[in-house]
Amino acid sequence: MAQNLLNALTLGSLYLLFALGMSLAWGTIGILNFAHGSIFMFAAFTGHLLVGQVALPLPLVLLIGTAVGAALSVLAQVLAFEPIQRRARDHRRAELQILVGGIGIATIPLAIAQHATKSVPFGFTGSTFQVEVYRLGPVQLTNVQLVILGAAAVLTGVLAWWLRSARTGLALRSIGVDAEVATMMGVNRRGLAVATMAVAGALAGIAGVLLTYYLGSIAAESGDGFLIKAFAAIVLGGIGSIGGAVAGAMILALAETVVLTQTSGMWVDAVSFGLIFAVLVLRPRGLFGRKEVRRT
Amino acid sequence: MTVIEARDVAVHYGGIKAVDGVDLALEPGRICGLLGPNGSGKSTLLAALTRLVPLTRGTLLLDGAEYQNAAPASLARRGVARTFQTVRLLPDLTVAENVRLGADLRRRAPAGVVDDAIERTGLGDVVRARPGELSYGMSRRVEIARALATSPRLLLLDEPTAGMNQAERQEISELLRRLRDEGLTQLLVEHDVQLMIDTCDDLVAMNFGAVVAHGSPAEVVTDPDVQRAYLGKKWRAHA
Amino acid sequence: MIAWYEANVVLIQSMFISLLLALSIQVPFRAGVFSLAGIGSYGIGAYTAAIVTLQLGWPPFAAIGAGMLLAAVIAYLLALVLARLSGLYLGMATIAYSLILSVAVINGGELTGGAQGLFGAVSDLQTGHVVAVAVAAVVLLALSERGRPGRWIDAVREDPELAVSVGVPVTAIRQLSFVVGGLLGACAGAMNTLLRTTVTPEEVGFHLVVLALTMIIVGGSRSWAGALIGAVVFTWLPTVLAFVGEWQTLVYGVVVAVAAIFVPTGILGLAQDFVRRLRRPALPGGRP
Repeated sequence: MAQNLLNALTLGSLYLLFALGMSLAWGTIGILNFAHGSIFMFAAFTGHLLVGQVALPLPLVLLIGTAVGAALSVLAQVLAFEPIQRRARDHRRAELQILVGGIGIATIPLAIAQHATKSVPFGFTGSTFQVEVYRLGPVQLTNVQLVILGAAAVLTGVLAWWLRSARTGLALRSIGVDAEVATMMGVNRRGLAVATMAVAGALAGIAGVLLTYYLGSIAAESGDGFLIKAFAAIVLGGIGSIGGAVAGAMILALAETVVLTQTSGMWVDAVSFGLIFAVLVLRPRGLFGRKEVRRT
Repeated sequence: MTVIEARDVAVHYGGIKAVDGVDLALEPGRICGLLGPNGSGKSTLLAALTRLVPLTRGTLLLDGAEYQNAAPASLARRGVARTFQTVRLLPDLTVAENVRLGADLRRRAPAGVVDDAIERTGLGDVVRARPGELSYGMSRRVEIARALATSPRLLLLDEPTAGMNQAERQEISELLRRLRDEGLTQLLVEHDVQLMIDTCDDLVAMNFGAVVAHGSPAEVVTDPDVQRAYLGKKWRAHA
Repeated sequence: MIAWYEANVVLIQSMFISLLLALSIQVPFRAGVFSLAGIGSYGIGAYTAAIVTLQLGWPPFAAIGAGMLLAAVIAYLLALVLARLSGLYLGMATIAYSLILSVAVINGGELTGGAQGLFGAVSDLQTGHVVAVAVAAVVLLALSERGRPGRWIDAVREDPELAVSVGVPVTAIRQLSFVVGGLLGACAGAMNTLLRTTVTPEEVGFHLVVLALTMIIVGGSRSWAGALIGAVVFTWLPTVLAFVGEWQTLVYGVVVAVAAIFVPTGILGLAQDFVRRLRRPALPGGRP
């Protein structure tokens, strides 16, 4: 029981790291990046390639994953999302184009990784990092889990502080409320959008590397599944809300753990789909979302 | 019998009382002007009359029958047409097709109703153009033509002459009076007070979501409350 | 000609199935309803047809009809439940709905054959039947793009409030677009199952959502012709791209991304702009 709870907390932390950036970008600059899962996978994949050449320690692999994630996310923003937002006739059309553009972009890193790995799962076998298991009464805890829990707590805290207190964070939130007024007040939308996407991509990269360490290996296709789950967590918590993302990610991980351990069969994937559907029908703004959420 | 009537109508958005306790009655075959500064509640009242916003309280009557719960799409069928404050044309359709959309209300529109609407609004030369190719004044005419193509008994016009020059305004004013003489009841929202005096049979002045004066144009524009709302300007009354 | 047909009969079949699938998304899109429930309907049609063929021995058109009827009823209920949603939220809710169905069929036990799916749904459905159904659907949809229904649907998409003011039954048209999308999707799924005699859960997953979406984004979402262009392109692209071998997915991705960024109206939109420019070279007194 306690073990299951701990595992759910770890899974929830990974969902959270992945979902935070997606939620931030969607809630502020209006970009729902469907290539987020692909970026997450490719960051881990780059780590895998480098670890195959040089025996790297975990912090360095994390750093590489962060950099690759941020770079890919910025690339997608500059080459695709920004031109779409600049040209689209209206908000509704831009949303749809960004969605489809993201799906297209997602295929590119996926195809490269699939080609290189022949769709065989990959990991960090060359890394100097060794998994250690600690026993705390009935519960087993690995050092990977500790890193995941710590990273999720610290990064979520920093992001929340940044949005609440820092000047750039406030400017970003003002875009989320009213983009035009924010521009008139002298907010540099373009620069902030790039920065936001960099942060989102970096978080995805961290999540990808940590997931790979946690599971031992991931596959090129692992990003897609995470994307839908993160979407469920975001919608459940409320778009753009940090607290909402935390609650959404943890509730989703707990619900999945319960379904996985208490039911036979393969219903676990239906949890995230069911949550998305139910929340959108019953409470579209999520548990902690702003009231004036745009539904169009 | 009135054509359309609002009794103690209120529309509140949260704490904002956009319209608060308005009574309005339109007599058949007359043009009633609705006057008031920006944000006084004119457009909200129009939206309430056409059922686009829900009432906070009050009663709406069409030919004496209550309709505050009617489906908005049913009003066009009952002879109520409107134009919008902003130009709202379908960009991919030609001018003729946009007007035709009004006549689509009936499976078999009366013969010539579209041509008639186009001709009366002076759009004969641009029927094949698309909205993107029209001047602002011309686009506004298409709005009016589309409303006329529904063969209405009651026409609600939200600033139909905005963006038109003086000659065009005169033309629209004449058109509205001609339609009135043929029996079309109208509610006209405008900022051009001189045009309102020249066009309307009755005037209603609104401010802060409530009616501050109503009566003949001469009475209303000389009303001290109305004068104050418009910062002491004076207008000539022809009457 | 006959040799070519025989060599490519599977591709020809899947082109018409893809066309119906793309139309199941395009019809709601045209009414401004961003619903991807057509994918779920495809699954309902595919499984219903397999089940009634295997267990009840129904003839193919009865099996297809049963799938379409069930999908239409569910699509109507979905339209009622999701009436408050629009845009991306509606899109995601309908994607979630479609994916729930794909999990449900994995867990459906003997009825749906679990993860292996169903086999041996043999029927005498012919390629000619599929073509005839697709052509009939296209003719009906082409009619709905003309005259009064065409203008109404345009108005519902572009400006629902305006549409209401000229008496267009906006809610009814939106619901109808769900139902028609459901009928088309189920028809595609049912016919595909009967042609292949099998159906598996993988067939109705997220990749089908992506395929349907990319077909009408690349082809164009405004008209049945856009869905046709998309279906043709994505059926024959693999053949054309045979020389790139394993990199096909990559080229796909680039095509989709480029279309979404630079050609939002799709190939159809490009063609229409071109034709329009040819017809009216310049307005008299226009810009030099």
